Amino acid sequence: MTRVTDDIIIRAVSRVLIPFIQLYALYVIMHGHYSPGGGFQGGVIMGASFILYLLTHGLEEARTKMSEIKAGVFSSFGLLIYSGIGLLCLILGSNYLDYGKLSTILKVIPAQARSLAILGVEIGVGITVMAVVFSVFFDISTGGITPEDEEDLGGRDG
Amino acid sequence: MGNFFLLLGMGLFTLVLLCLYRGVFGPGVLNRIAGICAIGTKTLVILLLMGFIYNRVEMFIDISMVYALLNFIGTITAAKYLEIKGDV
Repeated sequence: MTRVTDDIIIRAVSRVLIPFIQLYALYVIMHGHYSPGGGFQGGVIMGASFILYLLTHGLEEARTKMSEIKAGVFSSFGLLIYSGIGLLCLILGSNYLDYGKLSTILKVIPAQARSLAILGVEIGVGITVMAVVFSVFFDISTGGITPEDEEDLGGRDG
Repeated sequence: MGNFFLLLGMGLFTLVLLCLYRGVFGPGVLNRIAGICAIGTKTLVILLLMGFIYNRVEMFIDISMVYALLNFIGTITAAKYLEIKGDV
């Protein structure tokens, strides 16, 4: 179990640093076309910011920001965005993830439609990777025992 | 100018090797953590020098910033693991 630390320096530094890490993660996702990065890398940086919060503020406080259930929902939601954009292309009569056909919906030329749809796909990948990275660290930290499990185990003992 | 950056990078690389020796054979865990942390900062500077050599600093500066952030988080994790006796 991750315990709360009383070190004021670590807490203050992480409180200042976490917003900038998250802003940088958004930059890496948005700017992935022109510079190194993309959905996966930005998602890992975003997940690292949550891991830093968990390390410095303890397990209970991190559960109020991002719980196991929320992490699971976010990982599925990102996959839904990814496959939804792919299936939308399939429904419009072209190949899976062939974004050119989306120009009829978005009312732009096909090149712009490709750029926008790739950005959407990368946002979906970023959300999924962020949630999964955080969820893996959470499960290692708690040993895979959620608060509901603890209640069940306590009831069985009593 | 490219030669100057190359020599600087090679000098830093020898320093990285010295820190690696401290990280692998160093007596005790504290020496190992300090050695690995020093390797992280030197790698950051080496990445920027590579950017200057290839004339693509704006690309390598992104990578080095991510490296610095992850190095910071890794050092905090290792220090906390040590503080609470095998428990992050």
